[in-house]
Amino acid sequence: MPYDAMSDCSDEDLLAAYAAGEPAAARALTLRLGPKAFGVAVRMLKDRAEAEDVAQEALLRLWRAAPGWRAGEAKVSTWLYRVVSNLCIDRIRKARGGHVDLDAVAEPPDPAPSAEQELQETARGVALEAALDTLPERQRQAVILRHLEGLANPEIAEIMDIGVRAVESLTARGRKALEGLLGARRAELGYDDE
Amino acid sequence: MSDKRKAEEAGLSPWFEAGRAEAPAPSGDWLARMEAMALDEQPAAQASVVPVSPERTRRGARLRDLLSALGGWPAVAGLAAACAAGVWFGAVSPAGLSDWTAAGATAAASDSYTTFEPASGFDVAMLGL
Repeated sequence: MPYDAMSDCSDEDLLAAYAAGEPAAARALTLRLGPKAFGVAVRMLKDRAEAEDVAQEALLRLWRAAPGWRAGEAKVSTWLYRVVSNLCIDRIRKARGGHVDLDAVAEPPDPAPSAEQELQETARGVALEAALDTLPERQRQAVILRHLEGLANPEIAEIMDIGVRAVESLTARGRKALEGLLGARRAELGYDDE
Repeated sequence: MSDKRKAEEAGLSPWFEAGRAEAPAPSGDWLARMEAMALDEQPAAQASVVPVSPERTRRGARLRDLLSALGGWPAVAGLAAACAAGVWFGAVSPAGLSDWTAAGATAAASDSYTTFEPASGFDVAMLGL
C-alpha cells in the first residue's frame, strides 16, 4: 500500500498492516502516534529527555504487541496513552520530592512591543504548566488528557482504568485547584486587559 | 453541564488555550530514530511462510493437468452441478419430475427402452470400454 493512501486508514488498520510487514505502515504510525506519545509525556514529566525515553518505550511495546493485537478490543491511541501515562506515573513516583513552586517560575523578559503577545502566551503556558505540576498526579493526568490533549471522558476513563464519574471528579477538583492557583495571576499575565 | 462547571471551564479556557498552543513537538532526530526502531521491530512480510514440499508440487501439477484436460474450472463446475442434480433427482424425486416421468412411461411402448438405448452392455464390452 503506498504511503499516501494510508492517511485515511484508522490506527487499527495501520497496526494490522504493520504486523503484516508493510513498511509504509511503520512510517505512518510513527508519524501519527510518536508526537502524541511524546506530547503527553512532556506535559506529565516536564522534561524532554525523559519524555523521549518514555515515548520510545511505549512505542516499542506497541510494535511488540502488534502481531497479537485483537481488532476491536481497544483503540490503539487509547492503549498508547495508557502505557505512556503509566510509565510517566512510575517515573514521577520514583523522582517524587520536589514540586515546582509557582512563584519560582521565571518571569518573562521585558517584551518588545511586536513580540509582547507571543511572550505573554508563552508565559501563560509556563504558568499553567507550573500550576499543573502542583496537582496530585491523578488530577494532573486527568486534566492534561481532558483539557490539553482534548480526549473525551470515556476514553480517559479507559486510559486511567477508572469510571467516567471518577474522571469527572478528578478533572473538577483539578480545575478548582488550578483556578485558585492561576486566578491570582490573571492581571499579571494580561487576562484582565482582554 | 452544570453552571458551576461551565463557569469554571470558561475561567480556565484561556489558560488551556495557551497550554495547547505551546504543545510540545518531538525533534526530527527523535522521530527518525523511532521510525528506524519501528522498522527494526516489524515482523517480516508473511508471504510464503509455509514451505511447499516437492511431492505436493508434483501432485499440484498433475491436478492442474487433469483440470486443463477437462476444460478448466468452468467445465469441472458444470460437471459437478450436473452430478449433484442427478443425485438430487434420484434421492428426492421432485413431484413435477415424477409426473413427467410417469407420463413418459405410460406413453412409451414397453420396447422403447431398448429402442432408445444408445449402446448395449455387449457393445460396450466389445469396444473394451
